[in-house]
Amino acid sequence: MREIIVEPLSRVEGEGGITVRIEGSKTKEVSFDILEGTRLIETLVVGKTPAEDVSITCRICAICTLSHRYAALRGCEKALGIQVPPKVHWMRTLMHMGEFLESHSLHVFVLALPDFLGYPSAIAMADEYGEEVLKALALKKYGNRIMEVTSGRMIHGENPTVGGFGKYPDKDVLLDIQKQAQQMMEFAIYGAELVAGLDVPSFFESETSFMCCEPGNGEYGLVGDEIRISNGEVVEAGAYKSLTNERFVPHSAAKHCYYKGKPFSVGALARLNNLGNRVKDQAGELYKKYYSDRWLKNPVFNNLAQAIEIVWCLEQIPRIVDHILEIEQDPDIIAPGQKKGEGVGAVEAPRGTLYHSYRIADGLIAEANFIIPTGQSLADIERYLGMAVKGLMEQEADDDTIQRMCEIIVRAYDPCISCSTHSVHIDRRAS
Amino acid sequence: MLEQTKKQVGLYGFTGCNGDQLTIIHSEDKLLEFFQSAQIQSFSLAKSDNVESQLDIALIEGSISNHEQADLVKSIRSRTHYLVAIGNCSCYGGIQAMDLGAKGWDQRFRTVYGDGFLNSRTPIESKPVDVFIDVDFYIPGCPIDADQFFYCFSHFLRDSIPVFPDYPVCADCRWRENDCLLLKGILCVGPLTAAGCKARCPSHNLPCLGCWGPMQEANVSAEFQLLKDKGFSIEEIKRRFRMHTGSGMMKPLKKILGAL
Repeated sequence: MREIIVEPLSRVEGEGGITVRIEGSKTKEVSFDILEGTRLIETLVVGKTPAEDVSITCRICAICTLSHRYAALRGCEKALGIQVPPKVHWMRTLMHMGEFLESHSLHVFVLALPDFLGYPSAIAMADEYGEEVLKALALKKYGNRIMEVTSGRMIHGENPTVGGFGKYPDKDVLLDIQKQAQQMMEFAIYGAELVAGLDVPSFFESETSFMCCEPGNGEYGLVGDEIRISNGEVVEAGAYKSLTNERFVPHSAAKHCYYKGKPFSVGALARLNNLGNRVKDQAGELYKKYYSDRWLKNPVFNNLAQAIEIVWCLEQIPRIVDHILEIEQDPDIIAPGQKKGEGVGAVEAPRGTLYHSYRIADGLIAEANFIIPTGQSLADIERYLGMAVKGLMEQEADDDTIQRMCEIIVRAYDPCISCSTHSVHIDRRAS
Repeated sequence: MLEQTKKQVGLYGFTGCNGDQLTIIHSEDKLLEFFQSAQIQSFSLAKSDNVESQLDIALIEGSISNHEQADLVKSIRSRTHYLVAIGNCSCYGGIQAMDLGAKGWDQRFRTVYGDGFLNSRTPIESKPVDVFIDVDFYIPGCPIDADQFFYCFSHFLRDSIPVFPDYPVCADCRWRENDCLLLKGILCVGPLTAAGCKARCPSHNLPCLGCWGPMQEANVSAEFQLLKDKGFSIEEIKRRFRMHTGSGMMKPLKKILGAL
């Protein structure tokens, strides 16, 4: 029996591993394992105020801290009947894009690219690709700066709170962010071209389904009250449980999500596959130039999809800053008019759709449920791993080659394992 | 010659959000310098070619939430000269330890995972690392502050011990000329919380939540009384005191309330 065990899997956020067991010419087991310790966050927020919940749940993950915060804010505000004014909306849109720039540039250039160029890390790439590494880090730093300016800190900033913001950034800071977006553009396009030029193996390709938030108004976007599925269906986010049916599978420790009995994928590739024809300007040009039907079959194109989303974000940011600056008066934080209710907040995290669902009673969280992106893609990740291993066995590949390909597939999904402890969650109503 | 004197350093993440290691990665300008200043043997969030060897300095992020992590952190302790807990989870157990000492973890575990938990790990209630091993230095924060971290790290590289402020968030807050939120009737735990965060939340007109952990000499009972006088319920005060530093607040709260 051949065993390939990668543990811990490096250059991903959190503690995970890949297990491949081969007997003779047959694969006995291929799994992507979530090994992260348990935190029981959903029980910790029970009995807390919505504002406290937002502070706790953003800490599920440091990379997508603001996506968690945004999903929590949307869920709690829906439950409490709070409608935020436009300035709050635009500030949140800006903070969310800062996170996309930070997370995508970290993933594409620092975590994933070394695989394709044959290095153990981006730091090791610095000798030959010094300028690329420095510019990628500058892009990430810019994303971090937006997060800091809007949320009050690079990680776990508390400024976005239920009903609004504690404080609004100064005009000159926002103008500087606007200017910097244009300066970042050249490298962002170069980066997308660089990623587009990488060789993506095709021997494990197979079609799947994709899900993402439907932003509405025929626009590309990162939040929505509805979910769009690649088969053309559009479903209310409140019905997320029917979209993300979780169940245990015999070979894996983690629960997997299925839609109508089949695995699906979420993330940048899902968004561009579902909504890509809505992308305009230079990002739209890149999409048109590089899109092919292979995108529907091969998760490794998620790296390129993220690189194109970086360009899209940089094109949106100047417009968003204009929207914020158009409204001179900083709105006060809106206090909830009611103390109970239910609400589901859905947003796109960089790695896919994120749901925070709440029941609030007496002004305190009575019940919470979070469905995170990596958990939703898990069944598909393992399906592609299985096909890649099978294909490589036919090519009589050695263990190192199998391991490298498996790592490329898992990393392409940009898994967030701190979040994914939840992927072993049991649906309480079903159990 | 300088090559030979480089310290052997390892960074390890246990249970948490990876925010402390990420704070280091987020320090773009200093990141390359950080990798050059020492021999970074292990840092699996950032690189693949990790070597598990004897270390001069181990930096530990995250709380310990299963037996396997407890064994691993003990083995790291056994092969490092100096061990530093970085971040609130490592120092105090973090948000996942907010109910530490109160009963009910088994029940809460079953609520989330049912009886179907099949992960190859043996879970326990999350605890700070010093429950399992000796810790030489603590760098608190949720997440750590990059400036504070690099200040400490450069001391460690020279075998010296950094000096931390011995005042609470309130001092930093005053220097920034913020209005006191407690005076406005807002539940702020700045007086109990160690400085180091640059008073970020009060500077955004939002109360301190205590994410830097307790200040050692803080007068917990005085703040408790003050908040009670302002009309906050014991339940509310207790909840807020424990949110970020459940383990750090166990002793003083027990003293005030008798039971948790």
